Amino acid sequence: MTQLFTEVGQAAKAPSGLVPFRFREVGGDYLLSNFLGDWVFVTKDEMRSLARGELQTGTPLHDKLASKNFLRDSIDAAKAAERIAHKKRFLNYGPNLHIAVVTLRCNETCVYCHASRANMDAVHTDMTPEIGEKVVDLMLQSTSPAVTLEFQGGEPLVNFPVMKHMIEYALARNRAYGKELEFTMVSNLAMMDEEKLAYLIDRKVQICTSIDGPEHIHTKQRKLVGGNSHREAVKWIERINKAYIDIGLDPTLYHVEALLTTTREALKLPREIVDTYVSLGCRAIFLRPVDPFGFAGRTAQIVEYDRSAYNEFYRTAVEHILDLNRKGEQVLERYASIFLTKILGDEEPNFLDIRSPSGSGIGALAYNYDGKIFTSDEGRMMYETGDPAFQIGDVFSSNYRALMKHETIRALVMASIRDTQPDCVNCAYAPYCGVQPEHSYRTQGTIFGRMRESTTCAVHKGIQDFLFGKLRENDPKTTEILRRWTTVRARTHFIQASSAS
Amino acid sequence: MSMSFDLGEGSVRVEFDEGLYPRDAIYGAAYVFIDRCYVHLDRVADKRIQVSLKAKKPGVDSQALAGEFQNELLGQAWRQKIVEDNRQFVETITARALGGAAGPPGLDELLSMDIGEETAFDDPLGIAMSWEEKYKKKGKTSDAKSEGEAAANTETSGGEAS
Repeated sequence: MTQLFTEVGQAAKAPSGLVPFRFREVGGDYLLSNFLGDWVFVTKDEMRSLARGELQTGTPLHDKLASKNFLRDSIDAAKAAERIAHKKRFLNYGPNLHIAVVTLRCNETCVYCHASRANMDAVHTDMTPEIGEKVVDLMLQSTSPAVTLEFQGGEPLVNFPVMKHMIEYALARNRAYGKELEFTMVSNLAMMDEEKLAYLIDRKVQICTSIDGPEHIHTKQRKLVGGNSHREAVKWIERINKAYIDIGLDPTLYHVEALLTTTREALKLPREIVDTYVSLGCRAIFLRPVDPFGFAGRTAQIVEYDRSAYNEFYRTAVEHILDLNRKGEQVLERYASIFLTKILGDEEPNFLDIRSPSGSGIGALAYNYDGKIFTSDEGRMMYETGDPAFQIGDVFSSNYRALMKHETIRALVMASIRDTQPDCVNCAYAPYCGVQPEHSYRTQGTIFGRMRESTTCAVHKGIQDFLFGKLRENDPKTTEILRRWTTVRARTHFIQASSAS
Repeated sequence: MSMSFDLGEGSVRVEFDEGLYPRDAIYGAAYVFIDRCYVHLDRVADKRIQVSLKAKKPGVDSQALAGEFQNELLGQAWRQKIVEDNRQFVETITARALGGAAGPPGLDELLSMDIGEETAFDDPLGIAMSWEEKYKKKGKTSDAKSEGEAAANTETSGGEAS
């Protein structure tokens, strides 16, 4: 762009009639985006005309910009305000995600463990039933009409009795609140058995697991003492998916969700990883890069990599997913789905790390086994590795309103408003993007972050460059597939019957 | 001269014009280095500030340290400028985010309030506010000169509204 303005030279002047916009070169054209999140591609010649202030009424460029709300006179102010309020409506509610770490004990050892696991004999890291009840009490005080209690660890099945106790307690207590209540469990599945499964199915607990890709890479990265971590996970994924079918649920909508942690080893296998997920019946693949939290901070030399390598991996994997879609396979990539939902419409998927401000504290809370409360699970992980910066209270002495008005949450909200951060303020992707301030703090020592050097920014930019590149090509079939990835099909079965009295 | 450097072994002294960089940005940038450097700020002349960074561990490249400090300083100064330009926007979003998450105060909060002579007439829920003041009905709002008067009007006003 600098070169373009140099070419225009003294002829460059402030374009009149245009609303403030941001721009980025994508695939030889310029992507323009405005404060409403509307976007348009213009050619270099058209951009030159804009820079010279030569926008004429009645030209295709003028019509194109007018139709996308880039011209001040053609904007319906009331409608614009309505759209902004709709996009930011998540600010009207408090935390909907409540992560309970019911134990740090885990039966597997993973090279990238974010959770800071403890050995199986570390029973002192089990959450007690009393703490579990206090977690539920705080969760139900959230101003959010829908709340999800997510059980994590360690391995949550290690402390199954307390998990069950919290579920029963939450169901009983919610009769007074009538919230849309959901339960989720993130498990490696190696300690699953038929009795536990029957309970989880009966109580409509969503089950999520981790798959690192084909068996050889999964077992290499996730050690299960006395067993094969991949075979255990696959066996139970198939068993659980069958259980959903047995109770009459649509398998395309109801199945075990699996998450990938992309390690350096995984970068070599983009297509194989996609194929593994598809063969397990997964309809969504989340190509998450490795996080710098927990043990991953210490094993970075083994698992970390340059983000340009990740972006290359991402492009290859998603091209493969697109090919599978063209052949009739219904599968999507989760990052793409989150960004596309904002790019192609006015909906906000409320993914807490990719929204502005982020969901730290105001969108999610994490409760450690010992009752300490954190702004996010990442904040809890940092506490486990020696930094209590994101602890905002504990279940014994904190009240809900004081937690939400905590100075740490205030700081995190201000730090994650993208429109007021250097680099982001000029970024064409600002309307669709977001950042987790805990990540910036962990990697750069500041909750504000320096996006130019941020691995999160590199990943988000890389993904959006890819997506906008596809949209610029304007191939009807590809565009239709991308549009389909933004379709939301609610899994109402997992919502507990609301019976407020 | 707006900025000058003095590079030592694992240390750097940067001196610059305070008029060019806001003092808060200097503090902010210096603070980022305290985990790996001993940091000292000094005024060496009128409008001239000197920042000394001395690495806590050996083997640090002074040139890189100076460069990092300059970049951090620019980032801090720019962020401060952006935030000042958008102060109302930031405050609006922050207030909406925190207010939405916390919800209105409840009975527990009222019971735990410290009620003394100075706070006795605080009205965080607006329950002592007149109907007119609350809903901005013309002609009445300006009559309520204090919260006490507003409270006295409540019953009558409510009657009028119905």
